[in-house]
Amino acid sequence: MLKSLTRAVSIAARLTNKAPSASVCRAAEPLVRSALCAPTSATTRPFTRSIWMMCSSNGAASDRRAKLLASKHTLPSCGCGGLHTEGDKAFVEFLSDEIKEEKKIQKSKALPKMSGGWELELNGTEAKLTRNLSGEKVTVTFNVNNSIPPNLEEEPEQGQKAEDNEPDIVSTPNFVIEVTKQGSKNSLVFDCHFPEDEIGHGEGEDESDIFTIREVSFQPEGEEDWKETSYTLNTDSLDWALYDHLMDFLADRGVDNTFADELIELSTALEHQEYIKFLEDLNGFIKCQ
Amino acid sequence: MMVVLLRNLQNVVPIRRARLRKDVETLKRILGVQRFDMGIVCVDNRRIQHINNIYRKKNMPTDVLSFPFYEDLRPGKLPCALHRDEYNLGDLFLGVEYVMQQCQERSWDFHATLTVVAAHGICHLLGYRHETEEEWDEMFQKENYILREFNRLTGSHLEPLTKRCTGDR
Repeated sequence: MLKSLTRAVSIAARLTNKAPSASVCRAAEPLVRSALCAPTSATTRPFTRSIWMMCSSNGAASDRRAKLLASKHTLPSCGCGGLHTEGDKAFVEFLSDEIKEEKKIQKSKALPKMSGGWELELNGTEAKLTRNLSGEKVTVTFNVNNSIPPNLEEEPEQGQKAEDNEPDIVSTPNFVIEVTKQGSKNSLVFDCHFPEDEIGHGEGEDESDIFTIREVSFQPEGEEDWKETSYTLNTDSLDWALYDHLMDFLADRGVDNTFADELIELSTALEHQEYIKFLEDLNGFIKCQ
Repeated sequence: MMVVLLRNLQNVVPIRRARLRKDVETLKRILGVQRFDMGIVCVDNRRIQHINNIYRKKNMPTDVLSFPFYEDLRPGKLPCALHRDEYNLGDLFLGVEYVMQQCQERSWDFHATLTVVAAHGICHLLGYRHETEEEWDEMFQKENYILREFNRLTGSHLEPLTKRCTGDR
C-alpha cells in the first residue's frame, strides 16, 4: 500500500515535467490552489487592508474613519448636532405609544375643582390653595413630586384578571397648611401627611385617619423655608385632646376629610398632567424638536 | 394613662373630635373604666354595612358595632386586667352617617345622640346585651344610670338608646 502510493507521487512528479495530460492536471489543480493561499484570506484581505490604512496613527485618517462609521452605519444626523441612534428611534416610538395611552386614561384635561371656594395657583409641580375667611387667610401648599407611595399590593386574588386588579395610581402628597390672622406677624403652620396604611383601603381596625398632622409651629408669614429656631410641636407624643382640638381648628377652616379627599383627587390629576407633560418633553428631547 | 384612640375614616359627617373624646372620657369615668384604653372609629354607611355583614351577617348600615376585648364579661363586672396591654375595653365603630340620618329624621342633636350611641356601645364592651327581656332590662338600667350621671356632670339632657329603639343592635 505504502509502496504504491509513493509510486503514484513519483509518477505525478514526473508528469509535471512533461506536457500535461488532461486527467492529471485536473487532479493536481486543487492541491496547488490550497497550498498557495487560503481562500478566506484571498477575499478579505483587500478590504481589511483599506480599513487598516485609514486606521493608521495619522489624525486626518482617523477622523475619516469616525465619519465613515458614524454616517454610513448606525448614526443618522438631522443637523441638530445631536446623536440619533436606532435606540432613540425605538424610544420615541415607545414614548408616543405611552403618551397616547396616558391621554386615553386621563379623565379630563381640566383639574378637578376644590369645593369651599379655594383658589388654585400652580407653579410647575407645586400647587397652592388659598382661601380667605373673615380676616383669616388659609393656604395649603403641596408638591406632586414623590407623592405616589410605593405599591404594596398583594398578589391578585384567584379568578381576578391581573388588569382588573391593577390599583389606580394615587398621589398623596405631604401638605403644609398656613393659617394667618390679620395683623399677626406669624402664621400657624401645620405639616400634614396622608398615612400610607389608609391608601391600602382595607377594612381593618388599625386604619389611620385620612390625614394626620405631623408638626405644628409658628413661622414668619409667607416664608419659604421652615425656621428651625421656632418651637415645633411634634404630634407623636402629644396629648390626644390637644391633637383633636388642632384637627377641629383645621376643620373649622375648611381642612377636613372632605378637603383631604379632594386634595388627593386634585394632586392625582395634577401629577398625571405633569407626567404626560414630562413624557412629551422627553419625546421632543429625544427627537430634537 | 387611659387612651381613647379616635379615628375618623369618613367624610360624610363633620365630627367634633375634641367634644366626642371629652364625652367618651366622661362616660368612661362614670363607669369606672378610665384606666382602660378604647378605640373609637367613625365610619360611613358603606363601611359599617360591610362590617355588619362580615361579623353579624346583617347586610345593612347601623349606628354602632362593639368589638369587646373581653368577650365573656358578666355585665356589671369590671375586666380583671393584669398587664398593661390588658387594660383595653375594645373598639367601637360608630356609624356616624347612619346616626346623622336618624337625627335629621327626628330633629335630634347629632353630637348629643352620638354620646348616647357611644354609651350604648360601651355597655356592650362591658358585657351588657339585649337579646332577652331580662338582658334588655339590665342594659336599660345601666344606660339610664350612666346618662343620668352624664347629665348631672355636664348639664345635658340625654336619654338611653334602648328606650328609643328596642330593635336588636
